[in-house]
Amino acid sequence: MPILDLGYRNWNGDRSSESLRWTVVATTGISLVWRGTWLKRFMLFATFPALVTMFGVGLFEQAARDDSYRRMFNGFLASRIEPMGPRNRMRNRAAERPQIISETTDIATQRHLAWSHMLLWYFRYPQALWIVVVIGLVAPRLISYDLRSRGYLLYLSRPLSPTSYVFGKACILFFLLAMITTFPAIAVYMFGLLLSNDPSAFLQTWDIPFRILLATLVLVLPTSAIALAFSSLTQESRFAAFAWFAVWIVGWVTYLVLTGSAMFNAEDAIKLQQRWLMISPYHVLGQLQEEIFGLLPTDQRLTGPWVLCAAVSIVGFGIARWRVARMLKV
Amino acid sequence: MSNVIEITGLTKRYAGNFALKNVELVVPVGVTGLLGPNGSGKSTFIKAMLGLVKVDTGSGSVLGRPWPTHVKSIRDRIGYLPEDDCYILGLQGIESVQMMARLSGLPTTEALRRAHEVLDFCDVGQERYRNVETYSTGMRQKLKFAQALVHDPQLIILDEPTTGLDPNQREEFLDRIHALANRFEKSVLLSTHILHDVQQVCDQVIILVRGEVRLADSLENMQRPLQAGVQVRVVRDALRFAESLRRHGLGVQCENDTELLVQGDASLIRKTVWASSKEEQVLVERMDEARNSLEHSFMQIVSEKNYAHP
Repeated sequence: MPILDLGYRNWNGDRSSESLRWTVVATTGISLVWRGTWLKRFMLFATFPALVTMFGVGLFEQAARDDSYRRMFNGFLASRIEPMGPRNRMRNRAAERPQIISETTDIATQRHLAWSHMLLWYFRYPQALWIVVVIGLVAPRLISYDLRSRGYLLYLSRPLSPTSYVFGKACILFFLLAMITTFPAIAVYMFGLLLSNDPSAFLQTWDIPFRILLATLVLVLPTSAIALAFSSLTQESRFAAFAWFAVWIVGWVTYLVLTGSAMFNAEDAIKLQQRWLMISPYHVLGQLQEEIFGLLPTDQRLTGPWVLCAAVSIVGFGIARWRVARMLKV
Repeated sequence: MSNVIEITGLTKRYAGNFALKNVELVVPVGVTGLLGPNGSGKSTFIKAMLGLVKVDTGSGSVLGRPWPTHVKSIRDRIGYLPEDDCYILGLQGIESVQMMARLSGLPTTEALRRAHEVLDFCDVGQERYRNVETYSTGMRQKLKFAQALVHDPQLIILDEPTTGLDPNQREEFLDRIHALANRFEKSVLLSTHILHDVQQVCDQVIILVRGEVRLADSLENMQRPLQAGVQVRVVRDALRFAESLRRHGLGVQCENDTELLVQGDASLIRKTVWASSKEEQVLVERMDEARNSLEHSFMQIVSEKNYAHP
């Protein structure tokens, strides 16, 4: 006989809105994936490029005040954007848009350009790769684990639709990717504003935070959609992980092989790259980033990559939702 | 509210085959057993009630809310224990119950407090801090039960809840169901193959066969025999005892060496039974009013094409 036995008790408290229940899927998922030691390590390493970007912005602001730093900044910026290859050589030749800070012009007026370059480098090179790694580590198990353990039944027996379930799962990725892209990039921007010691700096660069948000969306939406679609198509997360990395590696390698023949001729390279662009997700996203930061080397319009990006996002999330809804059939 | 579920014209087809065929059903407050052979449509019916499968036709109300148009708000008031072994990989027991409470709209801290309370009720001890994938089958059933109860639902739907439990755990489980129904006024829909469980806790019985409702009645009515009589259990020599009763002009059906069914009005035949017992020196161990066994009725209903319950 127990000394105290409360037993079952009725509960009559206030409940949260049904439309916000997906947040439980997201927060539970984040707390679960955050237990992984490797993810924590990768997330830590993924912040280092932001420090490099901060250093670049700081160097620019120093150069704006002290001419002796201009050469150093130019060297630093050149070393960042050199990997952009023939497209960059083409861009540098466009005389009306000098990409390396000129020795003769007022450096403060080139703030927007310099910061955009630094942020484009940040999004285009280190963070695009970190995104592939972090998603590859987290996303494959997000839905496939639930399919294997039939956990989706637990979620969907509550006021949650398959759409809000998939959205909750996607928010796990959105949060992690925002941690390694948006927040550090905004921190870089704020750091630049604080260092500039110039009230007009904000007026010169007010649009950059919006470009950062748009660049994040462009990176995050299609990548999350593809990853969740793969995860929903199998109960074995390793297959989903394999498919995820295969898409990036095969696309990249094929693109490099097909465009490699015209490496030493910038005009030919641009044409060839445009022709084969769509086979490499990495390069499609890269071009969209260039357009978002206003650094496209030519006046071309990127309709194809934008349509592809939207289509992949819609189809990816659609597949994930369809698979979850289909699992409910007896 | 006298009925928790009122459904008319519920039809669900899978690839042209009827899983549920024009089901008309009223589930009253209390504990209702949902019986039927494999593939009879029990799980489809439950999932349809929860809005997890889209039905072809059908309308009605569940817990006073229009069904199937308001399934989300209905789900908030239903606790569902699925038949399938389902859990969230990587979560501890307490975390998974807390998560289910939060999915039903409880604030985070309150969800944790409530999760502990319900796990105590379900007799889950320190195992609640272990990852759910390490749980035994019995522990998982308890965990699923706690998840079904944590948001204090009005209606609890249990799909094969005692599967995989040892006899002690099963008794405890049924006691909890009984307590919830009697002390906390919960309605329970219990889908099971185990007729003993139904007999022990249910007030009502619904039998589904090939997607159709064959019977929906109280357990008492269902167990009422077609003919009045007395069930007699003797220590031995039931055959000899039966002969003696027949000589006294009673209709007797001998079921085995210790049990026999004496037909007639119980109040009238009782004296004759005692007299025969004295004459034949046969010790009567037990005497009850005759009842149909649930198993017998179930088999009869399932096997007959057009069963008509008396």
